[in-house]
Amino acid sequence: MTDFLQNNGFLLVTMVQQALLAMSLYYPLMCGQLSLASPGFYALGGYVAAIIGTIEYFAPWRDSLGWVIFPLEWLAAGIISGFLAVLVGIPALRLRGIYLALATIAFVEILRVVCLNLEITGGAIGIFGVPQLFESRWSYIWTFGPLLMLMLFFSYRLDRSRVGRAFKAIREDELAADAMGINPTRYKVLAFVIGAVLAGVVGAMSAPFLNTWNARQGTFDASIAYLAYVLIGGSRSMWGPLLGGMMLSALPEILRPLKDSRLIINGFVLVFASIYMPKGIAGAVGNLKNFTTRILGIGRSEK
Amino acid sequence: MTTAQFLQNLLNGISIGSVYAIFALGYTLVFSILGIINFAHGAIFTLGAYFTYTLAVGEFGINGLLSGLTLDLQIPFALSLLIGSVLAGMVGVLLERLAFKPLRTRGADSLLALVSSLGVALVIVNAIQYLVGAEIYTFPSQVYGDIKPAMMFEVAGQSVVVRTVQVIIFAVCMVILTLLGYVISFTRIGKALQAVAENQTTASLLGISVDKIILVTFFMSGFLGGLAGTLVGTSFGIAGPYFGVTYGLKGLAVIVLGGLGSVPGAVLGGIVIGLAEAFVPPDYSAYKEAVAFAFLFIVLLVRPQGLLGRSMIQKV
Repeated sequence: MTDFLQNNGFLLVTMVQQALLAMSLYYPLMCGQLSLASPGFYALGGYVAAIIGTIEYFAPWRDSLGWVIFPLEWLAAGIISGFLAVLVGIPALRLRGIYLALATIAFVEILRVVCLNLEITGGAIGIFGVPQLFESRWSYIWTFGPLLMLMLFFSYRLDRSRVGRAFKAIREDELAADAMGINPTRYKVLAFVIGAVLAGVVGAMSAPFLNTWNARQGTFDASIAYLAYVLIGGSRSMWGPLLGGMMLSALPEILRPLKDSRLIINGFVLVFASIYMPKGIAGAVGNLKNFTTRILGIGRSEK
Repeated sequence: MTTAQFLQNLLNGISIGSVYAIFALGYTLVFSILGIINFAHGAIFTLGAYFTYTLAVGEFGINGLLSGLTLDLQIPFALSLLIGSVLAGMVGVLLERLAFKPLRTRGADSLLALVSSLGVALVIVNAIQYLVGAEIYTFPSQVYGDIKPAMMFEVAGQSVVVRTVQVIIFAVCMVILTLLGYVISFTRIGKALQAVAENQTTASLLGISVDKIILVTFFMSGFLGGLAGTLVGTSFGIAGPYFGVTYGLKGLAVIVLGGLGSVPGAVLGGIVIGLAEAFVPPDYSAYKEAVAFAFLFIVLLVRPQGLLGRSMIQKV
């Protein structure tokens, strides 16, 4: 078991991390907003942690606070991401559908180019030697794991709360929701900010995990990867991003025996999954459950 | 800024801008028919450049399955450019059949078309890497024939450099734009295309084969993408399988600036962004890559319908 964790610890933690990033995209999608901004906030959060962890200015803090500095980094990353999300979100969320997606792509690219050129972010080279929280890769499950549990609990509660119902009402019909007294802009910005804060915190946890941070962390490719997680996993329940994030981030590793052609296969998987599983893995599992329920006549079928 | 610098920037901007324009038209055509953005367009751009390289030069490097292979096809460059772009157009048709049509017939969420086209992009880019490796390929400097690579002009005591490649790129783009404008406005197929873009159901009731028009659109889109890829490749080299990604994203900025689905808009947007990039002061040249996206962001906030697009009507 220890051997297994030693060898696969990095992959397992990465799977949890990617599932969290998939969830950061799921919240805006809950109210029908396709935002691809997560990699931007993820990169931002990582820079916050990497900067606090390395520059001279924070050295006395690091010495006196010890490991407590890490939760403070997460907090700082969450606050900064949330603040920026409000600034970007209020104007951008007036746009719908593909326009919002394009605006968030632009946001990610602008942030990337800025980080590539600023001195404090280490330019093209990035920031090296970010202090580690744990000695082994696997141990980082103790930061990402509880966060995932927390987010799953949060999503479960959110789904059944007033806010969650408002999200879904906006997703189904924004004008009707507006007429019912739900303020669409407020809830859309809220969903966007929740996703941004989550992505920022995950970034802040990831900088120590990866030890180094650079502008390549937040790219268009990442936007698409997270979108694929959610859509392949299933965008209608919180299990979708969880399953999609874990399975798709493990896929290139599972396909490793295929060597160089594995990324080609990965591409085909995306194409066929979107054609044959339009409701995602979670939807397909739901269908299977309904099917067995009907056949066996036990349990309660879900719509 | 001196007159010479101004002229130099103007020249550089118009040349690259015209490539942005024909590349972005590939997005626009598909968007105007299907209302979706084909995220594999950047990959087709890359593929077109590799096709032409294979036909015209055909010398492969030390990586990938085809390492060390030399195809001495001796095809003249102009013909290679044409065949390469046609092949890219055919890949566009294949893409439509593989990634878009199955989703359309199933009435799937349009977001899924994003994922499936990206899946195809992933396949194309990695297949290129698998076959010929990630190295840089450059076209020989005399690819356009035995002409001087550049000319110098004196303007008010300072020199302006006109690269032959720039002039050829601009000329090719203008020919293609004129041709495309003619096809769309004056031919039967172009009229049918406009009708389908306006309303698919009505068009099919009028006896237009919507499916055929969609195929033609994807062929034209792929052709334009592949052509743009080759033109950029002859000017700056083919910087590996991922070199289309940046252009793919900038193309999005171009079509949004011009107005989604607007053909003249894509041309105008391309030229504007090309010029804006060229006029970035040298001290800030590192931020050049962000110019297109700054435009995209601002246009979306100020005028989401773009420069020449129709304003969006909120339907209940």
